[in-house]
Amino acid sequence: MSAPTAPALAAGHHEPSKFHFYIQIAMILAVITGIEVVLIYLPIVKWLVVTTLIVLSTVKFMFVIFYFMHLRWDKVFCTILFFIGLVLAGFTMFALMKLFASDAGKPLTAAALDFARTTLG
Amino acid sequence: MAEVIAQSGFTGKQTAQPATTFSLFPRPTAKTGIVSWLTTVDHKKIGMLYGGFAILFFLIGGIEALMIRTQLMVPNNRFISAQLYSELFTMHGTTMIFLAVMPLNAAFFNLLIPIQVGARDVAFPRLNSFSLWVWVVGAILLNVGWISHFVPSWNFGGAPDIGWFGYAPLTSKSFTPDLSTDFWVLGIQVLGISSIVASLNFIVTIINLRAPGLTMMRLPVFTWMALVTSFLLVLALPAIAIALIMVMFDRNFGTNFFEVSGGGQPILWQHLFWVFGHPEVYILILPPMGYVSEILPTFARKPLFGYPIVVFSGVAIGFIGFGVWSHHMFTTGLGTVATAAFALATMAIAVPTGVKVFNWIGTLWGGRIVTRVPMMFALGFIWMFMMGGLSGIMHSAAPADAQQQDSYFVIAHFHYVLIGGATFALLAAIHFWFPKFFGRMVPEFWGKVSFWVIFVGFNATFFPMHFLGLNGMPRRTWTYDSNMGWNEGNLFATYGAYLLGLGIFTYFAVLVWSYFKGEKCGNDPWDARTLEWSIPSPPPEHNFAAIPTVHARDAWWYEKTHKAEIAQEKAAHIKAEESHGGIHMPDQSWYPLFAAIGLLVGGYNFAQLHHPVTMFGQQVLASHLPLAITGLGLMVASCYLWALEGPGGYHLHIDAEGKVTESRGDHH
Amino acid sequence: MSSPAANGHLDHHHDHTTSTGIPNKKLLWWAFLASDCMFFGALISSHLVYRLNPPPGNAVPTQIFDIELTSFSTFILLMSSLLMALAVNAIQKGNVKSTRTMLLGTIFFGCIFLGGQVFEFTHFVADKHMTLSNSIFGSTFYTLTGTHGTHVAIGVLLLGMMYVRTFKPTHGGGLGRNFLHLLAFAVAAGVAFLFFVPGLLEVIEGESLRAMLSHDAKPLILGAIACAALVWFARTSDPTVEFGEKNAIDVEAIGLYWHFVDIVWIIIFTAVYLLEYL
Repeated sequence: MSAPTAPALAAGHHEPSKFHFYIQIAMILAVITGIEVVLIYLPIVKWLVVTTLIVLSTVKFMFVIFYFMHLRWDKVFCTILFFIGLVLAGFTMFALMKLFASDAGKPLTAAALDFARTTLG
Repeated sequence: MAEVIAQSGFTGKQTAQPATTFSLFPRPTAKTGIVSWLTTVDHKKIGMLYGGFAILFFLIGGIEALMIRTQLMVPNNRFISAQLYSELFTMHGTTMIFLAVMPLNAAFFNLLIPIQVGARDVAFPRLNSFSLWVWVVGAILLNVGWISHFVPSWNFGGAPDIGWFGYAPLTSKSFTPDLSTDFWVLGIQVLGISSIVASLNFIVTIINLRAPGLTMMRLPVFTWMALVTSFLLVLALPAIAIALIMVMFDRNFGTNFFEVSGGGQPILWQHLFWVFGHPEVYILILPPMGYVSEILPTFARKPLFGYPIVVFSGVAIGFIGFGVWSHHMFTTGLGTVATAAFALATMAIAVPTGVKVFNWIGTLWGGRIVTRVPMMFALGFIWMFMMGGLSGIMHSAAPADAQQQDSYFVIAHFHYVLIGGATFALLAAIHFWFPKFFGRMVPEFWGKVSFWVIFVGFNATFFPMHFLGLNGMPRRTWTYDSNMGWNEGNLFATYGAYLLGLGIFTYFAVLVWSYFKGEKCGNDPWDARTLEWSIPSPPPEHNFAAIPTVHARDAWWYEKTHKAEIAQEKAAHIKAEESHGGIHMPDQSWYPLFAAIGLLVGGYNFAQLHHPVTMFGQQVLASHLPLAITGLGLMVASCYLWALEGPGGYHLHIDAEGKVTESRGDHH
Repeated sequence: MSSPAANGHLDHHHDHTTSTGIPNKKLLWWAFLASDCMFFGALISSHLVYRLNPPPGNAVPTQIFDIELTSFSTFILLMSSLLMALAVNAIQKGNVKSTRTMLLGTIFFGCIFLGGQVFEFTHFVADKHMTLSNSIFGSTFYTLTGTHGTHVAIGVLLLGMMYVRTFKPTHGGGLGRNFLHLLAFAVAAGVAFLFFVPGLLEVIEGESLRAMLSHDAKPLILGAIACAALVWFARTSDPTVEFGEKNAIDVEAIGLYWHFVDIVWIIIFTAVYLLEYL
């Protein structure tokens, strides 16, 4: 891939075109999507499939942000800025999932609700 | 010439291109009169507008509070109905947070940030104007319900009455069927849009528009706090935006987000609300910490102690603040692990906060304290905020919180940090920067009188509430029986509230007087340290005659102590800018206002979606949807025309005597 | 020397009028996208939270989803992302014609995606009887994917506005023509994803072509007229336009938004669709 750009381009200097590079990336993304769809039908243990799906999605995600969205060649502050939002969203999602998946987070069953209403109330 | 093209050509502005653009009508150019205020993109005017509206709503919120305190003055009081009481405490909270403190902070962001970074305006001036007018739309939507009390045929169901935090399932159609909740939902949503847009603007301004030599670690602490606050806003508001969408959908489209019979869980609302709500309180307090960090050095006659650590603590508070939200939910049955985790994180936040307090004390230590009015409010801030922080630490211990939650102890805590903290700092800031933006001083004596009345009144009102809470008095109840042991505390608190009201009234009355009759002053009446004091009072439209080059922290202090060097630099900068065509200023525009009006029409009608449209008793339309779509269309069209209009701009030229002339139509 | 704006020599990675070298618009958009991460994060979290303990009587996703269609939609959106990157690439070289083609391509694939969503939603409601209100899964699913779809639709509108913008004549004026051009675009795109693409998908799924055409005759004719108008506007526009390499930042900004909408879909596809099959 073309080297990180020099601070100021002199007149007459063209950056090598990224046209073909983008097409290659798109092909890779399409192939990964295909693999994901096939994967869910394969008789593999569930945790491995989940992990692989998450990894593959992450790979697609990173390809799009670093290449299509140009972060690879932009000033690193743009990457930091976006990752602040991304990491925070990820952390919040993780915390919410943990809170609702815990025993205390389960909604009461009908039986438990009845018990609460009649015996305790 | 080519260099100029290269410079501005990058950002897509029209350069050596013809000056005509896609414009429907000529751009407004009035510098005075109502049109100049409606179409302004000048950050100083926008700041004044935010400030003016905020002070109006601050006083309204105060009246709401006095009505609450009057009702609670004696047991079994019937001064107002329970329904009105619910509306009052809801609107008091909503008004003070969203319509008073936040826009007052926004006012200072607008007034100060461009000048403190050495720029002539924010990065996106029309977007700034849009934020302001959208805020006004939000304020209208939140308060339109009051009309129902005076004109019953406008059946909005009164003002919102579900608490400022709108817990589900109280907000569901089955418990609150009238329109007041829908207006609350849309009002807050619109205010969120305003804040996000404004914050994005300030983030770009602070990071990208700094004067030469102004590194991040030379920024005034206020600007740093504004940057952190802006980040908090853009990252926290989306959570409540989603939660509000869910409430709106539950109420209008029958979804089951918080509907238990459909599989929903109301506790999700609490989580999403507080994911926003906790960063929100740091959004309220970080700018005040910034004001105090500017005022203390000025009146202690020495630089801020430990600048890097004060900045870093502010960032840390913002960051950790996203991880503590469930401390508002300790009594909801989160489970042991979750409760412990959030309690720990909450205690951790006390550390950077305490670090700041120690640094402020370090600033005072060994200084020559000048007890002018802003300093007194700033000193009051340190003490009162600390007291609020101590009751906060008491809350962070979950077992203690089990007793304190939903009692008057919480009310005492947050009023100490919000009045004793945020409001004191804001009152200090208004006093401190009033001379800069109005060119007149506020009389010391009356300023001090208002300070003492406010200080005594505030403590008289809220200190008893610690004990009322620990003695079991619950929040949000409109009356109490006389045998609970709460009578004296409430009576005393109400007297304190009236005294506080008198103090606030005095403070603002003095300001109004000062606007007309205050002693005129020059650019630096306080002998201060930051760049805004280097320009005339009130500042000219273009802020700086020459964009400064910054050599050190406390840039203005450096300029005052290196006059010859600075004079040379300024002369060189003025020459350079004039050779590039003059001082470039952004053009005014109607479109931000029009887009906001579209949003008002859209929001107002969307809130009443399923209700028929009636005029003079006759049904005109089966639902408000067509009108809502019209409003949306108006907004989209305005935004499109705004984009087509382009940034525009004109040039100012300052001659040797300092006279300013305008020129238009040449290349930008 | 001649204007760098004409020759493809602007530095698109560095703006020396700003403190960081990052163009203001780019910085604004990245900050906005960080905010949008939290927005979709909250939505996706809510959906996943409600999948943890599904109540009895809840809709069963695997009985409702058509994973082939959704995979196809994912592929379509990825291709639209490619074309968007190529559009930005083209305008950074000052090639307006190529930019227009790539923008249209992006819009075309975007409309196919939206049409797929419309088709999917219609079928879920009509055939699988899953609505916004009759199950918690319906509530969270439609709100989440609907919000994403709305983002895509807004993106299509922005791309259309940018497309029409590339025809701005140098000699000034042209506002009325711009409005009509945009109107034609909006009608064409609207008909495409509301009627044409869902109709085609119906035909693929077994409905007769004749039935589809007669069923949607009026909108399809309107759409055809709009497309003809678009061709006419393109053919009869002034050959010299006030649009070129200097506007690359604006195309890039829309590109950032469009790519972001794509990566949100990547997450939704995995978390909402694929994980249900395990």
